[in-house]
Amino acid sequence: MGMTEKLKVGVFGITGCAGCQLSIIFNEDELLDLVGLVDLKAFPFVKEVNVKEGFDLVFVEGLVASPDDLEVLKEVRENAKVLVSLGACAATGCVPAYRNFTLKENYEHLLYKKEKDIKDVKPTPIDMHVKVDQYIPGCPPDKKEILSFIRCLLQGKEFRPYSSPVCVECRRNGNLCLLEVGKPCLGPITAGGCDSVCTNRGFECWGCRGPTADMDLELMIKILKEKGFDEKFIKDRMRTFVGLKLPMLERVMNVKGDNTESHNKD
Amino acid sequence: MSKEITLNHITKIEGHAKLVLGIDKGKVRRCELSSIEGSRYFEGMLKGRRYDEAHEMTSRICGICSCAHVVTSLMAIENAMGVVVSEQTEKLRVLLTLGERIRSHATHLYFLALPDYLGYESALAMASKYKKELKQALHMMKVGNRIITLVGGRDLHPVSATVGGWLSLPSQEDVREINHLLHGIKKDALATCKLFFSLKYPQFESSGESFSLVDESEYAVLKGRFVSEESSFEIHEYRKFIKEYHEARSTANFVVKEGKHYMVGALSRLNNSSVFLSRDAQRMLKKSGIKLPSRNPFENNLAQAIEMVHCIDHALKMCEELDLHDEKVVDVVLREGTGVGAIEVPRGTLWHEYQVDGGGCIVNANIITPTAQNLLNIQEDIREFVPRIMHLNKEGMVLEIERLIRSYDPCFSCSAHFLEVNWC
Repeated sequence: MGMTEKLKVGVFGITGCAGCQLSIIFNEDELLDLVGLVDLKAFPFVKEVNVKEGFDLVFVEGLVASPDDLEVLKEVRENAKVLVSLGACAATGCVPAYRNFTLKENYEHLLYKKEKDIKDVKPTPIDMHVKVDQYIPGCPPDKKEILSFIRCLLQGKEFRPYSSPVCVECRRNGNLCLLEVGKPCLGPITAGGCDSVCTNRGFECWGCRGPTADMDLELMIKILKEKGFDEKFIKDRMRTFVGLKLPMLERVMNVKGDNTESHNKD
Repeated sequence: MSKEITLNHITKIEGHAKLVLGIDKGKVRRCELSSIEGSRYFEGMLKGRRYDEAHEMTSRICGICSCAHVVTSLMAIENAMGVVVSEQTEKLRVLLTLGERIRSHATHLYFLALPDYLGYESALAMASKYKKELKQALHMMKVGNRIITLVGGRDLHPVSATVGGWLSLPSQEDVREINHLLHGIKKDALATCKLFFSLKYPQFESSGESFSLVDESEYAVLKGRFVSEESSFEIHEYRKFIKEYHEARSTANFVVKEGKHYMVGALSRLNNSSVFLSRDAQRMLKKSGIKLPSRNPFENNLAQAIEMVHCIDHALKMCEELDLHDEKVVDVVLREGTGVGAIEVPRGTLWHEYQVDGGGCIVNANIITPTAQNLLNIQEDIREFVPRIMHLNKEGMVLEIERLIRSYDPCFSCSAHFLEVNWC
């Protein structure tokens, strides 16, 4: 990147809670300088004038849950050299995509009420629809990680996402193992880089940053079962943030079941 | 002359909203406001989940209000299961909620509302001329975030609040830091009042009543009756008064109180609880020129500025009162029950209701957000407001309508949820 030409950046949100876009803004001390370093072409959450093309870099928050989402996503992809999936919704579908695994009969009778222009779309992460060049995971994403990513790009350095499990940071932070005290912690199979922010406070990891590449899912399930958690609980918990990224879960669990099984009758 | 205006993407709000407006011979023929965000079905997803999972999941309804959802969810579950929390737990929840309100109001006032009034397309574009004001805003947001982080463990989607108490507590040192930070932004909040009092707002009166929780002894945060100028009820009776309905064209709910639209938010709170404002906030209220009760939604911006002063004072009072001691989370005894939680959050009153079975499993959930409650009121305001701006061209009309919508500080990502619940 030459000194004369600034990086043309766009920030877009599709279905989501706006938390990832806020994670950019909540870099309170750096925000104004950062905006000066790049050419912010689009950020509809805080800008009225936004262009649609010619981006070097775009951040996308949210998952695809409507035809509009898909249209925006495809348009953004076509007009961006680098597309960054920002946060858990974009990367895994996060909690909104948990709908794929739950109580279909609760919604079915309602879906027909909608008019055609609000078609129900299967809630899915963006990489099931377009190519993603880089992931900044997490719900919410780590706001300092967003900064270091942009800095790397500006300095032409390679950005290396963190890939060790949460346990590494958790241990380094001197925490007691929450599995040991009987909490259903998913730290062993979840990518860290979050400084174990949840377990530092005694809250078990729910897996928001996605599974590690070399996770031992079988062992994780075995441990949770030994701690007394039943299969329904384990499946529900593992699917809350990253269900669509664990397609093998059913097979590993080795239990019969489908998406429409009713959970509230047991 | 006939005009059709479709506003597909209203910028500078959270989430996505759509307005269809039809004007014929100087009359508004059609006015439909809807949220076009994909439904996220949180209520349905909670069915079958454990009682202690609801707050972690519902936090994801809204980023800027995540603390609000966490606290409301916990309180509703506790009410359903008969869990009584300690005074310390409650005070920390108040502090968390106030920290979030400071952050949210600062973000809305400076980043979403102010550019409209100063004639800029965004706050970022104001940076060269209004650097001082922007830095002031960012500083208040930072302090809000710091309070949330020290109390809740993280600034977005807090982690340490749980059913029955806190998984970890801030230290007394943390409380001292919060106290210090709050003192530091008091002048910024007062300057915010001055800035927003100096702007010109259209004269306009909404037809909806203004509702908020009203407490007996203080400016309501976590407790109170749901009150307007004309009526009042206990929160657990809400189903008798408040109805939700879904319109085919929208993924959002409309909410009515006994058939009528109504307003929630900072202005409603001022209308109903101004006697409990802190001394400095009272002083600011006098200076603002607002005549209470006010039904001018544009004055919600002023109300938020005044509330910032009050929230700082209220949070300082919490810091003074807090004498932190180690405390175990209250043991939860599984039992069947239904419970309502309602608290005052940045954009108005937030409602959560859960029905839990004897095994601790959530059987039903119902969530009503402030924006869902305001949606019909905003739509009806637009219908009333448009005839006054008919002399403008389309572009000018759109700007004025957007300014009206934004004054409510709507969060269309949080209004997108589903309504029908079959209670058994």
